[in-house]
Amino acid sequence: MKEVIVHPKRCVGCMQCMPACATAHSRTRHLVSAVLETPQPKPRVHVGAGRFNEGFPNRCRHCDPAPCQLTCLTGAIYRHAGTQTVMIDPDRCINCASCAMACPYGVIRFHEDPLGPPGRAVAVKCDNCVARVAEGQIPACVEACKVGALTYEERDTAMKRQTLAVARSMSSGAGEPVLPPGVGLLRTMKESQVQLLKG
Amino acid sequence: MFDPEHSLSVTQDADRLYAKAREDGIETVWERHTAQQPQCGFCDMGLSCRICVMGPCRVDPFGEGPQRGVCGADADIIVARNLCRMIAAGAASHSDHGRDLVEVLAGVADGTAKGYKIRDEAKLKKLAAEYGITTDGEDVLVLAGELAEAMMEDYGMRRRAINLVARAPQKRRELWDRVGLTPRGIDRETSEMMHRTHMGVDNDWQSLLLQGMRNALSDGWGGSMIATEVSDILFGVPTPRVTSVNAGVLKKDQVNIVVHGHNPVVSEMVSQACTAPELLALAKEKGAQGINLVGLCCTGNELLMRRGIAMAGNHLMTELILSTGAVDMMIVDYQCIMPSVGQAATCYHTKMISTSDKARFPHMEHHEFHPDNAEAKAMQVVRTAVENFVNRGRVFIPVEPREAMGGFSVEAILGALGGTPAPLVEAVKAGKIRGAVGIVGCNNPKIKHDYGHVTLTRRLVENDILVVDTGCVSVANAKAGYKMPEAAEMAGPGLKEICRALGIPPVLHLGSCVDNVRILVLLSALADALGVDISDLPVAGSAPEWYSEKAVTIAVYFVASGVTTHLGPMPPITGSMNVVNLLTSGLNDVVGATFAVEPDPEKAAVFLRQHIEDKRRALGLDARRV
Repeated sequence: MKEVIVHPKRCVGCMQCMPACATAHSRTRHLVSAVLETPQPKPRVHVGAGRFNEGFPNRCRHCDPAPCQLTCLTGAIYRHAGTQTVMIDPDRCINCASCAMACPYGVIRFHEDPLGPPGRAVAVKCDNCVARVAEGQIPACVEACKVGALTYEERDTAMKRQTLAVARSMSSGAGEPVLPPGVGLLRTMKESQVQLLKG
Repeated sequence: MFDPEHSLSVTQDADRLYAKAREDGIETVWERHTAQQPQCGFCDMGLSCRICVMGPCRVDPFGEGPQRGVCGADADIIVARNLCRMIAAGAASHSDHGRDLVEVLAGVADGTAKGYKIRDEAKLKKLAAEYGITTDGEDVLVLAGELAEAMMEDYGMRRRAINLVARAPQKRRELWDRVGLTPRGIDRETSEMMHRTHMGVDNDWQSLLLQGMRNALSDGWGGSMIATEVSDILFGVPTPRVTSVNAGVLKKDQVNIVVHGHNPVVSEMVSQACTAPELLALAKEKGAQGINLVGLCCTGNELLMRRGIAMAGNHLMTELILSTGAVDMMIVDYQCIMPSVGQAATCYHTKMISTSDKARFPHMEHHEFHPDNAEAKAMQVVRTAVENFVNRGRVFIPVEPREAMGGFSVEAILGALGGTPAPLVEAVKAGKIRGAVGIVGCNNPKIKHDYGHVTLTRRLVENDILVVDTGCVSVANAKAGYKMPEAAEMAGPGLKEICRALGIPPVLHLGSCVDNVRILVLLSALADALGVDISDLPVAGSAPEWYSEKAVTIAVYFVASGVTTHLGPMPPITGSMNVVNLLTSGLNDVVGATFAVEPDPEKAAVFLRQHIEDKRRALGLDARRV
């Protein structure tokens, strides 16, 4: 089964996954019209800044067991059988925020949502784009990510690739896997700047 | 990212006013910078392209995603095109500022620019002679008209070379001709740059960057140089004078008017109006002791250089200064005026006035100044400022002002040296002065406010390197106390001796950011005195806290003129190591100078000292180990 995998070192902080996610969870599914909808669709993936202002795409891990699901007294949070995705039924959600308190990653938001009941806020989070996947598309955040920070693949495939990269770096004389020189250069400069600001 | 645990400036007034601004609920540049994190890596590396609508495109710097835009442009082409468009924008800005001055000069000649006049006939005649205009017995106004016409030609396409290029040393001019860098027209090079970066035109990253250099030179030896020279003709050649700096220049008991922006066309008229007897009488009537005009940013530098008008602060001080509650009016023209200042002013009684037909801002009243109405407009807005004095609320002026000396035009420097650069050349030859660095440019919230400027200046001066500065740097160094003759004490022994003998500070204020051209003129005089090219001189440039497109253009015309230049923040070019390598080393073979990037001013100081000692060695002078 394919799933969304995050590769934090690759994130360049462009935030393109965010509008792509919001658009995918709008009624019109097009960026230009989505921004005109009421209520406004909102992203379910959130890019934060690390210590050196590097980006990190924070999204639901679809934990198992899921702390949010365990705390949900109304049973609004359930697991989608086919994809193992943790889902929220907006019609059963009572906006009590217990799930957000239990979530270790802070990925649940509360707002009126184009795909939820009208006129009231509900808990909203990543649904792995089940609707898109059912139509044969990949999750919107992965489609938007051009640097490989978000991939949609079998967990085993990703792990094997990582194993291979580590194994190669362990070969004699190979050293650490190197970043492309321009990426490394910019990171060094930004790290130096941030250190100086704190100095 | 801004961390409230740590101070955001090396200056006391900034820290205190920042606290006041936050208390008053004002959002500043630092909050907005934090909110923008993480900033887009594609853009930061120059790898995003919005030039056409087959796109927008971006190239994956990790090599797996797309490697070409829809048109087929690779990372090298995209990075070069983006950088070149920054150069074009910077050149356009400074050169358009110059154009406004030429229009005033033409207006003085035909009598339409009331209130303006020729203040320095000698400079007018000198410029006219450089333009090949016969000056014998010509009426001054006729001469002014002919010079304005000739300068307008420099903006066009009728010349093989811009006139003032002739000021460069012969070797440099020959090099430019050989490499194809001689700028032909001010607007022409900017237009051609925009043309070449259109989809499907110049797709060789190297030839794009060569045109980028020619475009920058069209500003440095063209538009910016015209801006400075015509300002001198209209408002006077600066001479050294003592003034005061920092937020303490605002006065509790006076009407405080702040001019912010760049062009002296507006601020000079405001300055004149502030001395009008009827407005001074009105100020008294309103309970104020007088009208206190102070500057911010470069238009402040223009007034400081020529009139000794006090300076309230540089780029990152422009929002904070409002939180004193003591500003009765801020008058802006254009460039570097954050669109946020009008909003910040709504917390206070401050009246915000925009004056340029090309620059409008939210929450400002628009009073358009033109050469024919500027005198009357200035009287009108200053009257409004005086009337606003009675509306003041709580006033917080956080520090006492500090004295600083400014006004070092090339003419003034040569004057102090007895009319020739020879004494300076001798001091360099003798090793008392190791060399000189022009520290220029802006502030940037990515660098602690003024830390880059002041730290680098301190390290250079104490190692016997003369510093000349302009723009935001000059305000930082003035606030840090480097601009008084007593500051010679902070210099190394050789530089100290020279400064004491001449009665000058170790850091000379050459003016606003268009006045960086004064550095080019001074370097040409030094190179001619030594019979060498500019690139042979033991000198360098630096922009430790730069942020703007104009700064890119300045840095490029410095390098293309033979001055190796350090940059604090990294320009958006790391997406192409070809471009990085050309700019940081390959250019040496083309123009005899390169860029160097280093955010840490301590490390930059070591690099610059090393560079200067290397140049000394090549000239056969003594060289120190760094």
